[in-house]
Formats: sequence, structure tokens, C-alpha cells
Amino acid sequence: MANDKTTDDSAQGDSNDANTRVQELIKYVKIKAKPVELTGEIKIPKIKPNSFIDVKPQLLTALEPLERLGYPVGGLVPNWKEVFLKKMDEILKKYRSVKLFLNICVRCGACTDKCHYFIGTADPNNMPVARAELMRKVYRRYFTWQGKLLGSKYVNGSDLSEELLAMWYTYFYQCSECRRCSVFCPYGIDTAEITMAAREILNSVGLVQKYVHEIIDKAQNIGNNLGMQKNAIINALEFVQDELQETTEIPDIRVPIDEEGADVLFVTPSADFFASPHIESLYGYAKVFHQAGISWTMSTHASEGGNFGLFIHNYGHMKKINKRIWEAARQLKVKRVIGGECGHMWRVLSSYSNTMFGPFDWLDSRFPRPQHICEFTLDLLKRGALKIDKTANDEFVVTMHDSCQVARGLEMGGTKYGQFEIPRGVIRGVCNRYEDMPDNTIKERTFCCGAGQGLLGDDMIATRVKGAIPRMQAYSYAKREKGVNFLALICAICKAQLSKMFPTYGIPMEEVGGIHQLVGRAIVLGAKEGI
Amino acid sequence: MTGITFIVNMYMNAIVYVGCAVFALGFIYKVYCEYYKTPQPLKIPQTPQSTNLSGVIMRMAGDVLFFRSLSKGTTFLFITGWIFHFTFLLMIVRHLRYFIHPVPELITALGGAAMLLAGVLLVSLILLVIRRVLDERTAYVTSFADYLVLLVIIGIVFTGMLMRSEVYRPDIIAVNRFVLELFDIRAPLHMLGMHPAVAPGNVVFMCHLSLVCFLLMYFPFSKLMHSAGYFFSPTRNMVNNPRDVRHVNPWDNS
Ligand code: SF4
Ligand code: SF4
Ligand code: SF4
Repeated sequence: MANDKTTDDSAQGDSNDANTRVQELIKYVKIKAKPVELTGEIKIPKIKPNSFIDVKPQLLTALEPLERLGYPVGGLVPNWKEVFLKKMDEILKKYRSVKLFLNICVRCGACTDKCHYFIGTADPNNMPVARAELMRKVYRRYFTWQGKLLGSKYVNGSDLSEELLAMWYTYFYQCSECRRCSVFCPYGIDTAEITMAAREILNSVGLVQKYVHEIIDKAQNIGNNLGMQKNAIINALEFVQDELQETTEIPDIRVPIDEEGADVLFVTPSADFFASPHIESLYGYAKVFHQAGISWTMSTHASEGGNFGLFIHNYGHMKKINKRIWEAARQLKVKRVIGGECGHMWRVLSSYSNTMFGPFDWLDSRFPRPQHICEFTLDLLKRGALKIDKTANDEFVVTMHDSCQVARGLEMGGTKYGQFEIPRGVIRGVCNRYEDMPDNTIKERTFCCGAGQGLLGDDMIATRVKGAIPRMQAYSYAKREKGVNFLALICAICKAQLSKMFPTYGIPMEEVGGIHQLVGRAIVLGAKEGI
Repeated sequence: MTGITFIVNMYMNAIVYVGCAVFALGFIYKVYCEYYKTPQPLKIPQTPQSTNLSGVIMRMAGDVLFFRSLSKGTTFLFITGWIFHFTFLLMIVRHLRYFIHPVPELITALGGAAMLLAGVLLVSLILLVIRRVLDERTAYVTSFADYLVLLVIIGIVFTGMLMRSEVYRPDIIAVNRFVLELFDIRAPLHMLGMHPAVAPGNVVFMCHLSLVCFLLMYFPFSKLMHSAGYFFSPTRNMVNNPRDVRHVNPWDNS
């Protein structure tokens, strides 16, 4: 027993050193990144090794959230190598995507110039294949017999070390899991899957990034990403309702909360409650529901549409957050569930929710699946159920940013290109002038806004400024060539990021907004002519 | 049989058997135990993915036969890579003449263009090597293993072409006999009984076959598994209908 204790202590001593070393290596430093000049052209840079190696997000150190999430407190755990390999093994056994993608890459280089972070930073470790190689090196060393037999040198592998952890922590938090690289890969290798796995492995040894995990914790335990308590939500939404009634001069337009028996449960990112320009879309949603005469409700229990659990390969987190929507739908006895404008929320709702909880088949049999607000609105527009005055948007030449999680994921409206056509259909239905950005920056080739999947924190501002470059260039091109002056979005993160990046790059912030912001402007209230 | 021919024969027999066995077992292990058996918990198909199975099959066929996904990325790599794979395939088909008797007409017909095809194959390989060196981004991620595979295949093609010249041409009848003999079900026993099948006494042929067998042995443990792995790639082989058809996560039982 005594013996055990001493070995324990010495192990503790060593690993404390390891922890100190890692903490030193990944210490957060505030770094400013300068925006580039907008020429409208997306240039592939020459590689500059290590140019962004110093940019790291902050660590989560608060004890309670860490405990609630089931991650180690106090930094790197003493036996981290063991924990690391065990976690990696577990993920390799649970996710074919990860296993296969570590296995079959031929390093052909087709993906090397496809990542917005590489284009922005020129750091070669931001080339998707190089990013994945960070994990592949560990895979070859510890999970293939060649590596076990010959050691890292002969299999191009890496031994576990604190430096390696730091590299992981740096570059797996310079990936927004946008999946653009995967479109061009001959085998569809999806670096996002690898990033998600890497982040969970880092979590398991005690290197937990602050921004994402704080939010996961809040969403699980309080119910929304912002950590708003019930009365705060009610206040915020009542304020929205007052605003609406005042501006529209229609006394019965409402933003219902927790109303049992409503037809629709509407979930949306909590940012929509008051952030700008998000809130404009909330006005739009309310107007659509009002005008369609469909009873709807928001829920204080499922007060968040977003699901940051998606960003790491920790199925449990994602499921727990998603469950709230399911529970709310049951409690409120609604007939259908509709999701607002949010990229990753939509991916979870439409692609994963069915797997995690089964179909919402106890709802109205015509709507056993969650719907996207754009599907809903376009349907109303097509049926002529909304009276629209397109001239209200005549001051705008609109273009659309396809949010990656929507664009590269799933069907919308039951067709494989629905996720492009339906939102565009809504825009065209409420605006006279619409122009697309260049082909290689939209639809399945869309560039991320630069802050997706957990990189929206203020500590990541350098990454955000650089990662936004391709999108900014594409927009400025459309602006110059086609006179575009409004970028329509369907993602809360994109809205938050771009409304900050536009001014950074010298474009007015007002040129960013949601699709339902446009809908809200064009809709003619009161003048209902029947459905 | 002199000592040296005996050793050569034993060697040639052994590499063929070992090569084929390692390839077959390794390949099956990888595909079955690693790719097939590992569950895919969530649906992650990727645009442009069809909402029905036949569409998915069409898309995958496009990827496999015409490198559709790659063609969106880099044109040079797409063209060179496709030519390499296509001519390589034709060369393999051409080699069936040693295994199928009587030789099908199609394969005989290929014979006329064989030299030309091999030439194109060789050039495409060399271009791929050059690209790996010159393209700075690809060079950054290229490892020794990537060159190794290319060089081995270059070696195979080169020795193959060499055998077409008068000087190095092996006795075609002897080659045929050797192959047939190896195919005999009792041949491995004969070999173990120290009576190996008689290999044609031609150094170029020996090199050619050795390299092929080396490649076969190396195959299951290398990136060459992309050939089979592609078919298991969840971004490409899952139907895009997550809302309509429930995908069950095999390890989620709560
Ligand atoms: S495109 Fe695919 S196979 Fe090629 S290097 Fe990138 S991940 Fe690897
Ligand atoms: S998923 Fe997106 S951010 Fe990540 S490596 Fe690929 S292109 Fe870059
Ligand atoms: S924030 Fe928007 S653009 Fe960025 S990754 Fe998410 S969906 Fe894509």
C-alpha cells in the first residue's frame, strides 16, 4: 500500500510537470490579425510554416462545468497517455468515419487549397490533409501493427508528447468542421469527423476548450447557449412582442411562449432573442406565423435550437441537448416542429435527431419530421398564403451565403439540392433583385464564414479574421461586379461572425442579415386573402 | 537442376504464394473487420447526395469510374491520376492472358496497343512523381511511403516494357507454363516438397514479378486500401434521407 502511494506520488510529480509544460505550450496569448485588402479575388497563398501556430483558444478551467460535463478538472491528467489512447481506441471502434478516414487518405493534395483557414493563414498545418495527419501520425504509431512493431520513425508516426498535444489543441481548433475539403476529396474524407474526434480526445485528457464547452454545459443544464433563465427568456420574448405590436400597429401579433396545444413548436438559436441582426429574423418568423394563421409557440424548456454537442465526438452531449426539443414537443402537445435559421442546429435536427430519438411520429402524420423555416415559408409563398410586397426590399441587391452545415449536409424539401433552392426560393419570393456570388464559393463549395463549430469566441478573433477572407473576397466581388449590397444568411453563427467581419473589412454591418429579415420587411400584414 | 536454379525457383514460388496470401488475408481482414464491422453512428452523407439508393450508386460509380469528386479539385491531378488508373487497369486486364485459356478476343485485341498504353502509364506515373516534388503543398504532406508506391509501380511498368524488347524477352511458353504450374492445386505442396514450379530463367522477369509480389504484400497495410475503402466512405455511400428513414446507431441503446 505504502509502495503504491510512493509510485503514485512520483507519477503525480512527473505528470504535474507534463501539465505545466502543456499549459505553457498552449498558453493563450492575445493575437491581432489584420484584415487583407478586398480585391474580390481568392488567392491561394504560398505556404508559411508555423505562421499561425501561436493562435490558441482559451481553456475551460472552471470546476463545476467541467465536472458536470464529466471531464477532468485541473488540466492534464497524470496518466494522460493511457487515457488518450483509450479514448482514441474507443472512438476508432465507434466511428467508422474516423477509422476509415485515417486509413485511406493517399495524400494526393487535392484538398490542400480548399480550406478557408489555409487560404487565410498560409499555415500548412491548416491544409485539411496536414491537419488530419496530426491524428494519422498517432494512428500509425499506436494503432497499426507496423507502428507498434517498428516505432514511429519507420511509419511516419508520432509518439505521444506534450508538444503533440499542443499541436492538436492548436490546429483542431483552427478547423470549423465545415466539410469543404471533403467535397473535393476523391474518397470523401471528411476532416470534420477527425477534428470532432480529436477534440473529444483532448477533452478526455483534460484540455477542454472554453467557448464550446461552456456553451454545451449551459445548453444542457440551463437550456440555452446564453444561459438565460426562464424569466429572462420570457422577458426577452415579451419585449420582442411589444416591439412587433408597436412597429406593425397590429395588436394581436404575438410571440407565444410555452403555449400548450399550439400547432407548431418553433425552436431557434437563443441569439435570435436579442442579438443583432438575428432579432430581425425573429420578427420575420412571427410575422409569417401570424399571417399564415398558424398557432405556434416557443418553449422555455427547449429555448435553444443550436446544439454545440455536434462539434465534438461526444454523442451523449449532443443527445442530451437535443432531448429538450423532443421533451418540449411532447409536453406542449404540438403537431409539428419547425427550426429557425441556424446551420448546425438544422444538421442535428434533420440528420441526427431521427437517429437519436426516432421520428416525431406521434405528431401530425403529415409532418413527422422537423421542418426548416425556409421549407415552411416557401410553401406558404407558393400557395399564395402570404401577401408580399417585394418593392419593400427594392433597396437591396441580395446575395446568399450558403451555410456549410446546411449546404453540405442534408436534403431540404426532400430533394438533394433543396438546401440551395429553397432558401433562394424564399429570397426570390420576397425580393426583386437576387445575384449569386462566384460559383466556387457557393452551394456545396461554399466557404465557411470563418467562425463555425466553436470558433466564434472572442479569443479566436485572429482565426476569425483570417478565416473570413474567402467569403469576404467573394462578397466584395459580387458587390463590385453586380452591385450586391445585402448578404442573406440562415445561420446564427454566420450572422454573428459576419456582422463583425463586415465592419472589420470596411463594409457596413447593415449589409448582413437573415433571410427572414427580408421576409419580414416584405410581408404585408393584415391584408389576408385566405389560404 | 543446379543449385542456383533451384534457389531461384524456390524464391519465385515463395514470393508468389506469400504475396497472394498476404494480400488476400490482409485485404479481407481490413475490409471485413475494420471497414465493414466498424459502425457508423450517424448519417453524414454529403452534397450532392441523392435521396435514393440508385442515385447514390450512380454517384459512387461516377466517383470510381470518372473521379468526379477529384475533378472538382485539381485538374492536373484529376487527368493524370485518371489516366494512370485507367491504363493500369487495362494493363492488368491484358495480363489475364496468362490466366485464361483460351485467351478472350478482347484481351488479344489489347495486345496491339499494349506498348502504347504502357508508355502512357509510365509517363503518367512520372508526372505524378514530379507533381509530388514540385507542388509545394503536396510536397509538404508527402511521405516516403508515397514515393515508394509510385516508384515500385514505375519499376513494374518499366521491367514490363523491357521484356518486350528482343534482348530481354523471356520465353513466353516458359512463362505460361510457370503460371499454369503455380495454379495447380498441389503446387504449394510440391514447393514444400522441394519441387518448385520451374520459373523462366530471365532476370527482368524475376524483377518484374518480385515487385508485383512486393506490392501485393504491401497493399493491405498501406494507403492503397483506398481502392476498397472508398466503398465504405460514409460521406459517399449513405443515402441522403435522414428525416424519412431512421438510421439506427448500433451502439446507442438508451
Ligand atoms: S483529397 Fe482526400 S485523399 Fe487527397 S490528400 Fe486530401 S484527404 Fe487525402
Ligand atoms: S472541415 Fe473546413 S475548416 Fe476543417 S479542414 Fe476541412 S475545409 Fe478546413
Ligand atoms: S457558422 Fe455558418 S458558415 Fe460557419 S460553419 Fe457554421 S454553418 Fe458554416
